[in-house]
Amino acid sequence: MRSHTTRLPAVFIGPGLLVLAVLALVPTVFAIAISLQDRELGQADTGWVWFSNYVQLFSDRRFLNSVRVSLVWEVLTVSATMALAVLMGTLMHRCTTPRWRQVLSMLFIVPVLLPRVSAAFVWKFAFHPLFGLVTWPYKAITGEPLDLFADPVLALLTVAFVDVWQWGLFFAVIVLKLLETLPPQPFEAARLDHATTWEVYAYVALPMLKAPLISLTFVKMVESLRAFDLIYVMTRGGPGISTETLDMYAFSQGFIESGRISYASSMAVLMMVASTVAFTYIWKWTKPS
Amino acid sequence: MGTLLARLALIAAGLSALVPVLWTFLNSFKNRVDIVSSVPKFFFTPTLDNYLYVLNREAVGAGLLNSIVVVGAAVIIGALLGLPAAYALARYPLRWGNDIQFFVLSMRFLPPVAVAIPLMVIWLQLELYDTRVALIATYTLLTLSTVIWLAIPAFKAVPKEVEEAGRVDGYGPYAIFFRIALPIAARSLVGAIAFGFVLVWNEFLIALMLTTSEAKTLPIVASELSQLGRDVPWGILNASVILLSLPPLLMVGVLSGFLNAAFKRKREAA
Repeated sequence: MRSHTTRLPAVFIGPGLLVLAVLALVPTVFAIAISLQDRELGQADTGWVWFSNYVQLFSDRRFLNSVRVSLVWEVLTVSATMALAVLMGTLMHRCTTPRWRQVLSMLFIVPVLLPRVSAAFVWKFAFHPLFGLVTWPYKAITGEPLDLFADPVLALLTVAFVDVWQWGLFFAVIVLKLLETLPPQPFEAARLDHATTWEVYAYVALPMLKAPLISLTFVKMVESLRAFDLIYVMTRGGPGISTETLDMYAFSQGFIESGRISYASSMAVLMMVASTVAFTYIWKWTKPS
Repeated sequence: MGTLLARLALIAAGLSALVPVLWTFLNSFKNRVDIVSSVPKFFFTPTLDNYLYVLNREAVGAGLLNSIVVVGAAVIIGALLGLPAAYALARYPLRWGNDIQFFVLSMRFLPPVAVAIPLMVIWLQLELYDTRVALIATYTLLTLSTVIWLAIPAFKAVPKEVEEAGRVDGYGPYAIFFRIALPIAARSLVGAIAFGFVLVWNEFLIALMLTTSEAKTLPIVASELSQLGRDVPWGILNASVILLSLPPLLMVGVLSGFLNAAFKRKREAA
């Protein structure tokens, strides 16, 4: 019984959608156009070089390295976040009183609310080889300072740890809330079959939450692309180029080292195309139509 | 036995969320000698010097003002345009409804670096580079898409019968939005807007690329404090980290309320 012809949808959606479309499409078109030129910071004349930036990328070993680092980062942070979230969420659901659940839920939301810059500084200081709170026990026992940022593998793992700390604990709260939405019957039925508590979760409860857990994984995949702030503050891509992700490399090509805006833009465009295609595909695939 | 281990793990995780932040908080009240000690110090004579230094720095004041103006404007514009759009998408069956929702979501897929590089060129050409206006416009992209995405379920949760009753009472479609749907969904909507706020308050990469001096936001100013030479001013750095983190941390209550409401709906629907 909708009042037959109201213009409300157009009036309400139109302006917002128009603003979004302009703000998203104009930069996208510009990004592609810039990537086909040879624009540099502080130089007025530019010409069209078409695909030569893209061709060049594939013989740039630092670019290939950054693709590898980005992929490792994506797999590492997404899987560790989901593992931590499911583990902690299940533990909270199984072993706590309502009051503790509330306290822990509040605490677990704190890290994700911190600005990435703050989170990066907090942990950079906690991991400081000389004055760090976390590295102090190691130093006290062995007498040697522990410099996590000097080793290529440890440096990446340390930055990934901060990312997982922010998102994994937050997602644990969401997993807990999802478990709370389940009806109690399957838990009781499984218990009558003498299943252990952990079997109940592994074979009954978590499979029932498959769809929302996949959505959560998807959200984390999208968010993991935004690693720049953490890496910029904590390692600047170092030691060497061992933690240099795609966006970090694009930034340093465009702004720190050479001001090659067009070259940086070609990387950004590749990243945009790859992530949009991948995420659109995953989204349509996980969304039961 | 298993329960005990589980509780210990949970307590450890809870402490990991709290202790580093508390440690930073403590350090922000320390003199340099108390921070740069080979054994962590829990007892010391507190000082306010770090905060006084930070708050008296012109760059910090300017950054704070920029953050408040830019984030405030982007959040308000996002809410004004986003809430009606979300309502229409939630309540009216549209032919392109799903495609529009997916388009809004896909804004989140855009890597910030892919948006920031062209925008830098565009704002330079419009002679708006390094201005608040440019940053507000750019951040509106983030707040608007977030508000729409999170407000749709909030509006869907408003009971249809209440809106029907309003229609019977002679309310038009606009009156139903303003006088029924908006007030009923208000609490969840505040949560959605708060998410948008935290997102842009914390934003770093775009601000780093689109500002050089005039329009720098607080995260950029804070990150620069670490680069004052080899002799890192740790106390000052800790104080600025605490100041930067306060506004989003004040939202913790609002946001956990938002989560509770969202999942309560789910539980009742199940």
